Amino acid sequence: METPTLAERRAALLHAGALVSRSITSILDPDVLLHRTVDIICTAFGFYYAGVFLLDETGEWAVLRAGRGEAGAAMVAEGHKLQVGGHSMVGAATARNKAVIALDVGDEPTHFKNQYLPLTRSEMALPLSIGDKVIGALTVQSVEEAAFTEDDITALQGMADQLAVAIQNARLYSENARLLAQATRRARLLMAAADVGKGVTSILDLDELLHKMVDIICDAYGFYYAGVFLLDETGEWAVLRAGRGEAGAAMVAEGHKLQVGGQSMIGAAIAQRHARIALDVGAEAVFFKNPHLPMTRSEMALPLVVGDEVIGAVTVQSEQEAAFTDEDISSLQAMADQLAVALHNAHLLRALEMAHAELVRTKTFEAVATATTEAIHWIGNKALPISVSVQRLREDVARLSGVDPEIVESMQEDLTLIEASARLIMQVKEHLIGPAREYIPAPVMTEDVVKDTVRVMGIAPEVIHFTVTPDLPLAVADPTQLSRAFRYVLQNALEATEDCAAPCIDVEIDLVEEKGVRYVVTRIGDNGPGVDEANLDKIWVSFYTTRGARHAGLGLPACLQILKQIDGKAQAYRRPQGGMVFELYVPVHTGSAPQDPANLPAGKRYLLVDDDDVWSRFVEQALRAAQNTVTRVADAGTVEDFTIFDVIVVDDVLAATDSLAALQRIARAGATARTLVVASSVRVERMMDLLRFGVRDVLPKPYTPVGLAKLTL
Amino acid sequence: MKEEVKVLLVDDEKLVLRSVEKSLVRAGFDVEAVGDVTTALALFKETMASDTPFDIAVLDLNMPNFEGEVDPTAGLQLLSKLLEAQPGFPVIVLTAFDEVERAKDAVRRGARAYFVKGREADLIALIERIIQD
Repeated sequence: METPTLAERRAALLHAGALVSRSITSILDPDVLLHRTVDIICTAFGFYYAGVFLLDETGEWAVLRAGRGEAGAAMVAEGHKLQVGGHSMVGAATARNKAVIALDVGDEPTHFKNQYLPLTRSEMALPLSIGDKVIGALTVQSVEEAAFTEDDITALQGMADQLAVAIQNARLYSENARLLAQATRRARLLMAAADVGKGVTSILDLDELLHKMVDIICDAYGFYYAGVFLLDETGEWAVLRAGRGEAGAAMVAEGHKLQVGGQSMIGAAIAQRHARIALDVGAEAVFFKNPHLPMTRSEMALPLVVGDEVIGAVTVQSEQEAAFTDEDISSLQAMADQLAVALHNAHLLRALEMAHAELVRTKTFEAVATATTEAIHWIGNKALPISVSVQRLREDVARLSGVDPEIVESMQEDLTLIEASARLIMQVKEHLIGPAREYIPAPVMTEDVVKDTVRVMGIAPEVIHFTVTPDLPLAVADPTQLSRAFRYVLQNALEATEDCAAPCIDVEIDLVEEKGVRYVVTRIGDNGPGVDEANLDKIWVSFYTTRGARHAGLGLPACLQILKQIDGKAQAYRRPQGGMVFELYVPVHTGSAPQDPANLPAGKRYLLVDDDDVWSRFVEQALRAAQNTVTRVADAGTVEDFTIFDVIVVDDVLAATDSLAALQRIARAGATARTLVVASSVRVERMMDLLRFGVRDVLPKPYTPVGLAKLTL
Repeated sequence: MKEEVKVLLVDDEKLVLRSVEKSLVRAGFDVEAVGDVTTALALFKETMASDTPFDIAVLDLNMPNFEGEVDPTAGLQLLSKLLEAQPGFPVIVLTAFDEVERAKDAVRRGARAYFVKGREADLIALIERIIQD
């Protein structure tokens, strides 16, 4: 090849300089700029190799950033770097901020033998500097010895200076672009936060809010997946309530849930109440492999906390490792906090709505109950004459003569059917209206009320067994209504055991405390067939019965209504050994019950006609403490002279005899005017029977000394 | 005792009124069945001076009062007016409510007895006993 003339060489240098100038003014990407520069230099000058080194952050190393050809690419890939101030020409040029030239590299002590560039015979290292600040170096190598002329050196140094400025500009451009991107991202995150804020205050539907939240997170941050978990009622599981995209929808549909405190990041974040972040999920022990999200490489789990309460967690996942910046974490946690408050408010709103719905239901029930009671009362009144009419018809039919006996028999059968139907209607009326009748709560001895009820019902002593905890406190209830409740359950037990070879009813009276409230609980168990587990809830529902058409299915609902009226409760369960147990909870009397015997009459002679039981012992003790004399007899027949007593008190319910028999004896002695009859449960017809003897009064049994003070004439 | 006891029966419930009336008539009583308190009081006062005054009254409690409004104490109001007109006149209060306090209230106001509807046979015995007394 013909050697170019000096003029031609200078023209080529000017052309190369112009190309480099054009490049550095038009290329803003630093990598592109550097690669174009080395290509132009080699092409324009005909050099074997050119490369650009830039100093690293420490300023101690010049790192190859662009190199000509395959050799350059290989060295860049290897991370080829030379120490500033080291033995290389680049090291020397960057240390001195001065060009270093080796026209025969073999003679140059600073030349570093490079296996990728074996043909190099001349090398020039030109510092890239802006003012006094060295930012790197340009190396130019030739296969010819003494390849560089003074013109080349001048031209290349000029290019190196331009390149340094261009690199600086490109760096500033990159930095500006980065700052701009960061500002744009911040603006987007602020907008996302605003969207979340707007969402939590304007979206009342919980599901809509949660789905909006995951969409905002993914759209604003560019994450692959986000989901919101909420704790279930047990607090043991976090259940996915909203998830991004198809994966989220599929997992929600599957009922995807994670155990609190388990191996998942969500489980850990909720248990520990702070964010869990896995920048490389493969290395994170608590990461839960999810087949729906195979691309996840980073995951963040943020707890949803309101005050001291954790209500769930948000998961955010990215396809990239180390995807979350500190800014992401803090802004997402702020969003999570906002969401937690919104969820809490939504829960409160829902609770309020439920309370309102319950109130509406209660009011509706009350209205229906009132209407039903009036209707039943009306029907009952209309049905009242039926049984009496049937009785008259029976008398008339019996007097018929000359009528076919079969017809008479058929008429009698029809009358029986009519009578049974009327009786059922009256029974329904009694069950429905009974609990709504007079309700005068007072301190009561549950044991006394239960035992009196058992005696009035005539339940044989060998069938029923009592277990009573000693020294039980008084309960508070209307004793007549409470007796009615016991009667319903005892009747139920009697009917349940009527086919048993050895019927057995166990009554246990005990004291229990639930949620700070004390109850006297009466457990009535039987050895009947019991109620199926599936039907246990239905037995408290009106008109549900397992015992056929002759039962209205209203006794147990009436019992429940009576107990609810006094803030008590009733429940039933199957006994392990067979049969049923009904538990009736009556609240313990918490009001004051003055024990001052001074309230009681003093110096009186009392005759108490009663069995030796819990109530008579209380009466004897209280009256004697007030300086009265008390004689107790279970059988009035043992009393020789009733007139020696100032006050005669007769318990209406006696174990061995009917109190009416006692009253007959008292009446014969002319002492009824000083006689008071007491009963735990008083019914009008019974009261009229008692009053017929001319007794002073029929009173509810007093269970406190204050009540006892009324037992005077 | 008179051969035929004259009973004033007052109840606004027509079926009950007729049923009780039939039972009492069948038992041999002379019964005047009236459906409201105003007519009942007027009839009572009208017969007081006659040769055939009432011997006893059986009154429902819950029915329209003298102002025509349904009132659970309407029977008690009539009771008071009957006793005002004839102190000591025997009255049985008849009602569907078997409430003890209501019964006691009636007795305190001067009723001889309180009776729950639907037991006419017992009612007959009760009337006979009160008349004998």
